[in-house]
Amino acid sequence: MAATTESVKADAAEAPLLNKRNMFLGVLLYVVFYGWVRWYEGVYGWSAGLDSFAPEFETYWMNFLYIEFVLEVTTAGILWGYIWKTRDRKVMSITPREELRRHFTHWTWLVMYATAIYYGASYFTEQDGTWHQTIVRDTDFTPSHIIEFYLSYPIYIITGVASFLYAKTRLPAYQQGLSLQYMVSVIGPFMILPNVGLNEWGHTFWFMEELFVAPLHYGFVFFGWAALGVMGVVNTEVASISKLLKKDLA
Amino acid sequence: MSASQSAVRSRAEAVKASRTFDWLICFTLFFVVLGGYHIHYMLTGGDWDFWTDWKDRRLWVTVAPIVSITFPAAVQSMLWWRYRLPFGAVLCVLGLLLGEWINRYLNFWGWTYFPVNFCFPSNLMPGAIVLDVILMTTGSMTATAVIGGMAWGLLFYPGNWPIIAPLHVPVEYNGMMMTLADLQGYHYVRTGTPEYIRMVEKGTLRTFGKDVAPVSAFFSAFVSILIYFLWHFFGQWFNKTDFVKAA
Repeated sequence: MAATTESVKADAAEAPLLNKRNMFLGVLLYVVFYGWVRWYEGVYGWSAGLDSFAPEFETYWMNFLYIEFVLEVTTAGILWGYIWKTRDRKVMSITPREELRRHFTHWTWLVMYATAIYYGASYFTEQDGTWHQTIVRDTDFTPSHIIEFYLSYPIYIITGVASFLYAKTRLPAYQQGLSLQYMVSVIGPFMILPNVGLNEWGHTFWFMEELFVAPLHYGFVFFGWAALGVMGVVNTEVASISKLLKKDLA
Repeated sequence: MSASQSAVRSRAEAVKASRTFDWLICFTLFFVVLGGYHIHYMLTGGDWDFWTDWKDRRLWVTVAPIVSITFPAAVQSMLWWRYRLPFGAVLCVLGLLLGEWINRYLNFWGWTYFPVNFCFPSNLMPGAIVLDVILMTTGSMTATAVIGGMAWGLLFYPGNWPIIAPLHVPVEYNGMMMTLADLQGYHYVRTGTPEYIRMVEKGTLRTFGKDVAPVSAFFSAFVSILIYFLWHFFGQWFNKTDFVKAA
């Protein structure tokens, strides 16, 4: 009886396998933040974002750009540094239950990555098409680019690398080396950001109007394919989770 | 770590954990594929998909199926060949359409005020259903590529016909013969308009129907078959679980 009570108490005190609250709050954070960003675009895109030589452009858009640069570098440094510094140095000797709990936490990171990829690659990238079909650009740092290239892309890069680092530093399944498909699914979409260099150079050089299917944009397409690396990550995860649960599911 | 130790306390907890992982995997796969597929599609076939005046009987019918069969082929190579789940193509297309509709409504209309009946996305669903059904019933990658790939190309125009037909009605405007969709395009001038006019339905066989659409669909179907094969093998590579040793 006493032993049972102790066991129940221990179970009650133990952290849940999946912290659903954290996961929903994480997704909510992206949704609310990007909702605010979209509101900002709607208001200040038209009122202050049409002429890059105007003083209000500097106030509402260039300052936005400078602030996001600082915040992104700081966030990446702190987050990646924290995950690395708190890494488990005895990762191969954790209990199966702890391993299962870490897989759930890893999937929380992957859910965040999926949310961030959606906003970056889908929502803000296609949005860029309609803005530049409407407003003739007079700068590389247009309101649409300041959000798409320099906010939504860094955010999914920060999230993706954090997810990769979490797996590498805390899960036994990723200790055999560097997961190739995982790296492709994180580094490929990351390369979309450096490819902005080619894109902006080309737009400065060849054309100012928009044509989304122009060959100049194919670099984004090529690196977008790398998102399919998530299939390899799913397969790796399914194999290691199956190993943990197989006996109990039989 | 002891091999005999269990990760869960009971079978019920194991089942619950397994189901929870299923949901997390579905969410992640859906939205990552959505992101990758959408950026691929918008930058290879996007302009044909954005505007009704680009949805002509020639290049739209040719380009859209060819560039859109890519991700369905790759995702089928995972979901069917690894897990026997027969909805790879539908999952991709549902994701793409969700991303597109959100964008067309909130951004094309909501930010830059193009009416939705000018910038709605193409319908790829009939081809996706057929592609999945053929894979499920034949269990053959070759049959899916040849029959499914051909169906993907051939079904695209009929699948969009009920939506686009009213906009392909000929009208005379200022002494010029054009379609209603062309007229929409002239009224909603975009920054790319000069280039757009040069690119839409160029060629000498410009008609209001008859041969152009079926011939374009048949050519598109042929290339879709080849692209399916290629992307099935791309998908197989992305499906691997390889590790490289850190230097």
